[in-house]
Amino acid sequence: MDFACNFPFFSIMLLMFTGIISMIAGPRPAKILSLAALGISTVLSALLIAYINQTGESFIYMMGHFPAPFGNEISAGMFEAVMAFGICGVAFLSLWGNGASTKTDIPEKKRNLYYIMMDMLMASLLVLIYTNDIFTAYVFVELNTIAACAIVMSKPGGETIAATIRYLIMSLLGSGLFLLGISLIYALTGHLLMPNMHEIIIELVHNSNYTLPLIVIVGLFGVSMAIKSALFPFHSWLPDAHGSATTASSAVLSGLVLKGYIILLIKLFFRVFSLDILKEFHISDVLLVLGLLGMIMGSVKAIKETNIKRMIAYSSVAQIGYIFMGIGMDITIGLVAAVFQILVHMVTKPMLFTAAGGLINVSGHKKDFESLQGSAWKDPLAGVSFIVGSLSMIGIPLFAGFIVKYYLAAAAFDTSKNTLIILAVLVLSTVLNALYYVPAISKIYHRDEASKFNWQDVLRTIGAVGDFPYQASLIIFIILNIILGTCSGPVFQALEMGLDMLG
Amino acid sequence: MGENLFTNYYEAASVILFGVGFTCLLLSKNLIKKFIGLNIMDTAIYLFLTAKGYIAGRVPLMDADSVRDPELYINPLPSGLVLTGIVVSVSVTAFSLALVLKLYQTYHTLDLDEVLTKAKKEEE
Amino acid sequence: MGLICILLPIIGGIWLLYKKRQTYFVRLVLLLHVLLTGILLFLPDTSWVVWKLTDQLNIVLKTDGLSRIFLAMVSLIWLVVSVYAQDYLEHDENPIRFFAFYLLTLGGLTGLCLAGNFMTLYLFFEAMSLLSVPLVLHTMTREAVAAALKYLIYSIAGASMALIGFFILLHYGSIEFAAGGTLSAAVISEHRDILLAGALFTVVGFGTKAGIFPMHSWLPTAHPVAPAPASAVLSGVITKAGIFAVIRVVYYQFGVELIAGSWVQYVWIILSLISVLMGSTLAFKEQILKKRLAYSSVSQLSYILFGLGTLTPTGFVGAVLHVVCHSVIKNGLFLGAGAVIHQTHKTKVRELDGIGKVMPVTMTCFTICALALVGIPPSGGFVSKWNLIAGSLESGLGLISWLGPVILLVSAVLTAGYLLGISVQAFITGKDKNGAAAGQEVSGRMRNSQMLLAFLAVVLGVFSGPLISYLETIAGGLF
Repeated sequence: MDFACNFPFFSIMLLMFTGIISMIAGPRPAKILSLAALGISTVLSALLIAYINQTGESFIYMMGHFPAPFGNEISAGMFEAVMAFGICGVAFLSLWGNGASTKTDIPEKKRNLYYIMMDMLMASLLVLIYTNDIFTAYVFVELNTIAACAIVMSKPGGETIAATIRYLIMSLLGSGLFLLGISLIYALTGHLLMPNMHEIIIELVHNSNYTLPLIVIVGLFGVSMAIKSALFPFHSWLPDAHGSATTASSAVLSGLVLKGYIILLIKLFFRVFSLDILKEFHISDVLLVLGLLGMIMGSVKAIKETNIKRMIAYSSVAQIGYIFMGIGMDITIGLVAAVFQILVHMVTKPMLFTAAGGLINVSGHKKDFESLQGSAWKDPLAGVSFIVGSLSMIGIPLFAGFIVKYYLAAAAFDTSKNTLIILAVLVLSTVLNALYYVPAISKIYHRDEASKFNWQDVLRTIGAVGDFPYQASLIIFIILNIILGTCSGPVFQALEMGLDMLG
Repeated sequence: MGENLFTNYYEAASVILFGVGFTCLLLSKNLIKKFIGLNIMDTAIYLFLTAKGYIAGRVPLMDADSVRDPELYINPLPSGLVLTGIVVSVSVTAFSLALVLKLYQTYHTLDLDEVLTKAKKEEE
Repeated sequence: MGLICILLPIIGGIWLLYKKRQTYFVRLVLLLHVLLTGILLFLPDTSWVVWKLTDQLNIVLKTDGLSRIFLAMVSLIWLVVSVYAQDYLEHDENPIRFFAFYLLTLGGLTGLCLAGNFMTLYLFFEAMSLLSVPLVLHTMTREAVAAALKYLIYSIAGASMALIGFFILLHYGSIEFAAGGTLSAAVISEHRDILLAGALFTVVGFGTKAGIFPMHSWLPTAHPVAPAPASAVLSGVITKAGIFAVIRVVYYQFGVELIAGSWVQYVWIILSLISVLMGSTLAFKEQILKKRLAYSSVSQLSYILFGLGTLTPTGFVGAVLHVVCHSVIKNGLFLGAGAVIHQTHKTKVRELDGIGKVMPVTMTCFTICALALVGIPPSGGFVSKWNLIAGSLESGLGLISWLGPVILLVSAVLTAGYLLGISVQAFITGKDKNGAAAGQEVSGRMRNSQMLLAFLAVVLGVFSGPLISYLETIAGGLF
């Protein structure tokens, strides 16, 4: 075992210990420790990607003293490494960039607790990505839920607590169903490690034994993860939670937490049940339909919103719909497209939330569009990032969103499901996205006829508003988006390789 | 199918219990009752899981040192899983009750609908 | 080489945003652009991959006959209108922003003309739509903002519809442009339905930019509300971008074989005929001058779409000829209308009695362009309509091939009514009244540019021979 194989374990442990140590630290040290841990994890994940690229295969890492099938395992391949890199990197940028607004929103005494919760959240996300054992997944799903709820409610005020309770209830419902699924699959296969379960399931399907319980299990896994990742119609908790939380929390929740559950679902579908077996169960049909509905309904609801953060949150519902549409297509290339959308959304949504946070800050901390008019002139960098994010979401070429649509459409032709409907909904969602992003941009750039306009002033303001982390993180997000939009070839190949290794 | 239900009465009971908990969760207005409902749902799943470990005619494993014959004992793994689950459930319940307390302090009501209306008004 | 032509206006536009005065800069950039495109026109056909977005999607620039025509038209007209705009915007509070986006839109349009495959076409189409929005927004009044939003959303809706065609072509054929189409006969026979659906979506989608019914309602809202030079290029040139895209996709990708005789062709022709008639009728009743010209655009552009829809060489020639003629003419008309509004601040037609007395040059140019549009021989309008009608009769579509020419002729009568009516009012009726006597003739630049365009309108008609034969060569490769 090369040294690099320890990296997943290191990242997880590092984040957990940082969380524990931060309990005795003040707010500033806690933040620095968090950022350091996240930074180191990002670097480790990058090194891991390089390592796996070199060896060309995934590896299994034993946790504890008992080998499979009795012990616990971590499995790391290209897919897991890329996802981990994305998650740690985006978390770092979100926390770093929004440091100022975190300072204003969260009282000083509680701030180190906030960073502890972030560390725990990141650690549990990494476990969900890397684990090979389904019960470990359950435990860390619960940890994820608690930490996510904690970062929502950390901003004082009744609104956040009400939102947290709704989120908590829905999440716990999802967890309960997940545990039920685990119990059933354990009863059927007698194993908790995914590769071992897979062997038994192949046998069972081959002999046509226990088909109904298997369908129920897949359904339970699908529904529980759908509830937790806000697939329509289980999305009602999302706008409240993401809309009322502080900016860093919204960015992390929308960009990362939702994805953690979807990544777990993809692993379950791919590694425990392979895609061929899944096709016979028709659960993916349900996911496809719900994904298509989510794409439309998410955007329709966003059009009516007057609060910028809630509008962006509803947009997340629509984007998650894309991912489930990709998963629902039941073919590998569809899954790769879905994973690519995960990456793109991971990079775009936190940028939108950070930009929105910046715009809200220069408008007297008001979130509705009436108060935000003209804010993009006061904070030009936020305005530009908002435009880049919106263009990406709408699907203008040269930005990442267009490439996602291209890959999903290309996959749509190979699937056995109805191609024309998928294409039509894909295109319809483009227009619907435009219907709320374009008026939003027009409002934030609104100016009275009378006011004088001077480009030199605008350019000078760019450097003046917001501190360096905020500006740097926005610029890095923009660059990442454009890179994914123009040089997506290598990334896509890496993901294809990753999904090959996953099975 | 009827016989199956009868033989697997633990599982059947657990599903009924799950339904009870779910109904309680859906239909109660009081927040604490909702969380009680959630707890009942969790307990139902633990019952289900424990029942999966049971093998008729055998005893639980009490003492790891005096194991003579694995054939004598039930499957201990689900019991371990349930223990973990109970810990998770307890911590989550503690967290949720703390939230409910905070909510009560802010809004002086335990009714979720009223809370949401008040929160919306506050926003405006 | 093509890349320089695209980048020059884009960089120019961005640079302009940093400067305080724009007078010589804009003209310099545009002159350079005309020169460079001129050189490009005489170079042989080339193709160049600029960037690979993914394995299958490239950004490719290509020159061929069709792109040469459109490029020449865009470049020249852009220069002429900029001269006019110099004076028109003299007292405007924000000329820099206008000229900056003017240049940027030119960059987008150049890229569009030079697009070598569907991906590049789509990229520059969207870019151009986005970049032209500030031109509509310029005055920043409430209506301008609302109109700009409507324009943008219709543009995106249209482009999205075309996207369906893009995905279908990507899968079943190739996205490269090849004269005559890229779909093999085998593919056509197997997947006919989905290919046809894709073709229809693409035509209506790109046709949105050209005001095809039912996606036309943004045109009369957006074109009048922009400042006159912007209305001119919006109506005269940017709408042609939609037509260019339709030509590229239909003739160079889907191919005539697929669509000829199918239900898609019928729907296409019917929609364009409806727009022709509807545009003319609404223009006839419309009192606001710029809006009347906008409705006229809807009508005339659908003439072109009709000609393209006949899927015959003659129809094609007539259509592209009309593209060039209408571009010159409509620009002339809008510049004239702009001159009138600039001097008298009167926007309604009935207020224009006797304006011909005080603004003779403007109104003469206006009348010349109007006559050319109606189709009085030997103007360009006449030649193109002749070809369109011939193409329609050739197309063998049964009832439609007779109905088409009838509707075109009816519309021509209406066109005469709504355009010449203005001229009559300006010169003849008003001799006794003194209604709009206030105002004086426009000054040098505005006057010269209008005269140039009117002159071109006549020239295109009288000397249309070379252009027609060039078009016939292009058409030869497509059928």
